[in-house]
Amino acid sequence: MGPLMQGVLTILIGVFGCVGYFYFSNLVLDRLIFPARNDDAGRNINRANAVRPWLFLAPALFALCLYLVYPVVGSFWRSMYDRSGDVFVGMQNYKNLSVDPEFRSAVFNNFLWVLIVPAMATFLGLVIAQLTDKLKWGGIAKSLIFMPMAISFVGASLIWKFVYSNDPNIGMLNAIRIFFGADSPIDPLQVPFWNNVFLMVILIWIQTGFAMVILSAALRGIPEETIEAAILDGANPFQIFFKIQVPQIMGTILVVWTTITILVLKVFDIVYTMTGGNFGTQILPSYMMEYMFRDDGRATAVALVIMVLVLPVMIWNIAQARKEMR
Amino acid sequence: MKNVLFAGAAVSAMFAGQAGAQDLMFPVGEGDFHWDSYQAFADANDLTGQTISITGAWTGNEKERVEAVLDYFEAATGATVEYSGSDSFEQDIVISAEAGSAPNLAAFPQPGLAADMAKKGLLTPLAEGTGDWVKDNFAAGQSWVDLGTYADKDGNDQLYGFFYRVDLKSLVWFVPEAFEEAGYEIPTTMEDLKALTQQIVDDGGTPWCIGLGSGAATGWPATDWVEDLMLRTQPPSVYDQWVKNEIPFDDPAVLGAINEFGWFARTEGYADGGPEAVASTDFRDSPTGLFSLPPKCYMHRQASFIPAFFPEGTTVGEDVDFFYFPSYADKDLGNPVLGAGALFAVTNPSEATNVFLEFMKLPIAHEAWMAQGGFLTAHAGVNTALYNTDSERAMGEILQNATTFRFDGSDLMPGEIGAGAFWTGMVDYTTGKDAGEVAAAIQSRWNEIK
Amino acid sequence: MENIAGHKSALTWVTRITVLILVVLWLIPTVGLFVSSFRDRDDISASPWWQAPFPAEQTFGTRVAGEAVQEGGAFVLTGSIYEGSDAQVGAKVVAFGISRSDPTGITAGESVDLKGGGTLTVNGDGTFEMRTPEAPSAKGQRVYFAAAVPPEFTTGNYERVLYSNGMAQAFINTFTVTIPSTVIPILIAAFAAYALAWMEFPGRGFLIAGIVGLLVVPLQLALVPLLRLHNDIGIGQSFVGIWLAHTGFGLPLAIYLLRNYMVGLPKDIIEGAKVDGATDFQIFTRIVLPLSFPALASFAIFQFLWTWNDLLVAKVFLPSDSESWVMTRKIADDLLGSRGGDWGILATAAFVSIAVPIAVFFLMQRYLVRGLLAGSVK
Repeated sequence: MGPLMQGVLTILIGVFGCVGYFYFSNLVLDRLIFPARNDDAGRNINRANAVRPWLFLAPALFALCLYLVYPVVGSFWRSMYDRSGDVFVGMQNYKNLSVDPEFRSAVFNNFLWVLIVPAMATFLGLVIAQLTDKLKWGGIAKSLIFMPMAISFVGASLIWKFVYSNDPNIGMLNAIRIFFGADSPIDPLQVPFWNNVFLMVILIWIQTGFAMVILSAALRGIPEETIEAAILDGANPFQIFFKIQVPQIMGTILVVWTTITILVLKVFDIVYTMTGGNFGTQILPSYMMEYMFRDDGRATAVALVIMVLVLPVMIWNIAQARKEMR
Repeated sequence: MKNVLFAGAAVSAMFAGQAGAQDLMFPVGEGDFHWDSYQAFADANDLTGQTISITGAWTGNEKERVEAVLDYFEAATGATVEYSGSDSFEQDIVISAEAGSAPNLAAFPQPGLAADMAKKGLLTPLAEGTGDWVKDNFAAGQSWVDLGTYADKDGNDQLYGFFYRVDLKSLVWFVPEAFEEAGYEIPTTMEDLKALTQQIVDDGGTPWCIGLGSGAATGWPATDWVEDLMLRTQPPSVYDQWVKNEIPFDDPAVLGAINEFGWFARTEGYADGGPEAVASTDFRDSPTGLFSLPPKCYMHRQASFIPAFFPEGTTVGEDVDFFYFPSYADKDLGNPVLGAGALFAVTNPSEATNVFLEFMKLPIAHEAWMAQGGFLTAHAGVNTALYNTDSERAMGEILQNATTFRFDGSDLMPGEIGAGAFWTGMVDYTTGKDAGEVAAAIQSRWNEIK
Repeated sequence: MENIAGHKSALTWVTRITVLILVVLWLIPTVGLFVSSFRDRDDISASPWWQAPFPAEQTFGTRVAGEAVQEGGAFVLTGSIYEGSDAQVGAKVVAFGISRSDPTGITAGESVDLKGGGTLTVNGDGTFEMRTPEAPSAKGQRVYFAAAVPPEFTTGNYERVLYSNGMAQAFINTFTVTIPSTVIPILIAAFAAYALAWMEFPGRGFLIAGIVGLLVVPLQLALVPLLRLHNDIGIGQSFVGIWLAHTGFGLPLAIYLLRNYMVGLPKDIIEGAKVDGATDFQIFTRIVLPLSFPALASFAIFQFLWTWNDLLVAKVFLPSDSESWVMTRKIADDLLGSRGGDWGILATAAFVSIAVPIAVFFLMQRYLVRGLLAGSVK
């Protein structure tokens, strides 16, 4: 039996197993444990309904706890130990971080990333989704803009080497500068501050496709009648877009924003492969990678700092969920 | 399902093993290899049915070459060897060792990581007597024993590493024709080299190609420069103190070596493209400047592995050659040589691993790769006539004639320094920061991890 | 009305042009990669990719040597400059020179004085004539020349990537990894997302926030403890292990995206169905799932892409023997070679691995459009 057969078999087992689990667990709940008959019918239905969400959630929660919560708790524990993992040092790793100038510049840069990348990617994604919506060749345009999503990070960093290289024979940016009369090439990745922006462009280039796909689906979800009514009222296309369509999909826009924000806090590859964190471009994920497997105490401390930075996003999401429940 | 998976892997591995055993790169008994000791080894050991797994950082054509060597082990013992190479070996081995799924043996590209793992108790010491054997049979044997000896979990020194492949770092690559046309002589002292550098500039050329770019590892070529210059400006004992941080990183001795590097890399007109280009040019692209017409530079200091990145069809010894990165005539420090090397260490012991390390002691284990090219060894018992090219034989001689051999210091420092702060510090220095400031930052980082 | 129509068409044109500009901007870097994938390593560093389709002037070196004919008091050597050089025969010679530091100082057709006396002439068609007072040495005279080289493209990179030993196996392995790793998390996440969106129970808000928090867990943290866990429970390094790992790592995003989509579904339908006595299970399978198709499809695409391009998880959770290599691993560990410096192969590999995800995207796009259906019932 080749791995391919195994794969097919696993899909079948997985799919039928999942569906079967949900179906039969429901059946068992309704028929056997809390049957909706006799005198207890009303109470039993209520009881069953209290249990059911947990049936639906169980496999997901199990997988999440095992694959994510357990490592996080373990990491928190690990961050209290020194680099070899033998000596308990309490908060020492965090203290060391707070005085490390490289860490501070990484935090600062990361704030720039979090402010700029999600905003730009979402905005461009929204604009492109709207513009391509009515075009005949919109599908092709979308696929082309989506393409960077499909390129591996290694491929992407190679692509941008052809743009940013300081050799005008390879780097497009320098070739253009020389063409317009600049006398000597510069290295875009060594220009203070702007090098951060140049690196952000790469992630925006990749993530716009993501925003576009999700937002395009959301835009199509807006009922035609709403828009037609607005047109009849004499609204111009800009008014329709900003006053009707955007508010309608605000929820999705914020989801896309959140997702990309979180991604920004996670992606180390771009900085790691393009500059290795040199020239003042360090960000937290790549800073963490520098310590990973060498000083796991400090690496895990950085990881937990990153998780703390997500706190505002989490709080916002709780607020959202509360609002929906009312 | 799991059993099926494993059985499948075993069957395929078995076929791979047999295929390897059938066609050895150099037929047994032919050529000037040490066949006698190989035959004796084959007669004495039978590991039929056993499997031994090895990981290392050799990939691509290096992987093919090491597999050709491993074929001899398979043919002699009947064991199956599974070698897998990885570009991110340093991460992979830590993950698999900590997770308890380590291969039997690992070929570490440098000792720093092996020392770290030994300290965590993830390595098994080599068999009794291996140290004595290395001392007697390797050129400068004691130094190789020292480089393979690390503290274990309880702080006791034990021999963990068996050195196999050596890289020579103190080499300057040049195009003989370019030198000939311009009338330049190969410098034999550092004074001459510096004079030549200035002369090339006066003639309107650019003497050096230097490239520090290497993705996440950007900066490492500069550490080699500094180490080489450290050995040329300070006695080896100071170098050893520096590597162990017995003198601080911002000691005047170290600053001197860093500024020497700055003389080459930061002086206007000495390095192709200026310091900014030095910091960002990929080390793999950097040597191509030697071959462009007109030449972008005349000299390139890099280790013995660099010919792999020369343009296609370049012949070492003809189109390009190297000379020893010379020492100062007036400093009387002899001819120091900087090197690096890969070592085998046991990550998951079995009966077969001991036999494998016995095999590594045989000259044939070294000769089989020497004859394929791209391999230097410290094993003194090999037939040097088997080196693939004259230039490799010449490198072997540099290795033998070295009055001082020192291992790449950044490989010996803790990872955060030797593969972290030192790298980034050198990039900062190259792009204009003050040597004292950079060195002080590295030292403060070192203080943190003590 | 006509006025509006005229206004509209102008706007359509602006739209079209804006989209075109954006697409071109987005495409330029990828085109660079595409062009580079057809060039070999030396060409890539010799000239920029946007000049690849045009003939380029390149400098070559050669030695001219041979039997000279005595003519009067001089030795005359004639021949073709192309011999012994890498230049293509017939390439137009533009300029030449006799020193490396000034390899193209003399225009083709003119003569240059040689160091040892005598002259050398190289013509545009590549013929040369060397006149020396004494017989030329056997080693020959070094000559450099610049010649126009026609654009050169090669499919060699693709041949190396596609026909390398074991690529087919790696391709199959990649599918074996990606498909279950995409399907299983979607299923599990869909149920969980429904519960979080439409079922009421205490602690719902905190669960949602917790899942958002888990989105940010760096994978690298989880690798060592999980591999150890897999070894302990007997899964070890195997396909089953990587399916489970990808499922775990993909779930937070899946649940988050799906829940947010499901929350937006029209309330009346679901509550109406509840009033009609439909169970949650029925509502989920008959109403919510079909309506959520666009969200399911978009997540499927992302999970597929992520597992397709993943190298790290595959390295950790799959056995290290070449039989179970996925494509990314095959490329990184086998094709790129030591310290991977071959940009041509890298570019090609990026394109080979992009082909399938793009095809998937085209296929899925039709399903993304089905979002229309969902919206129309709002």
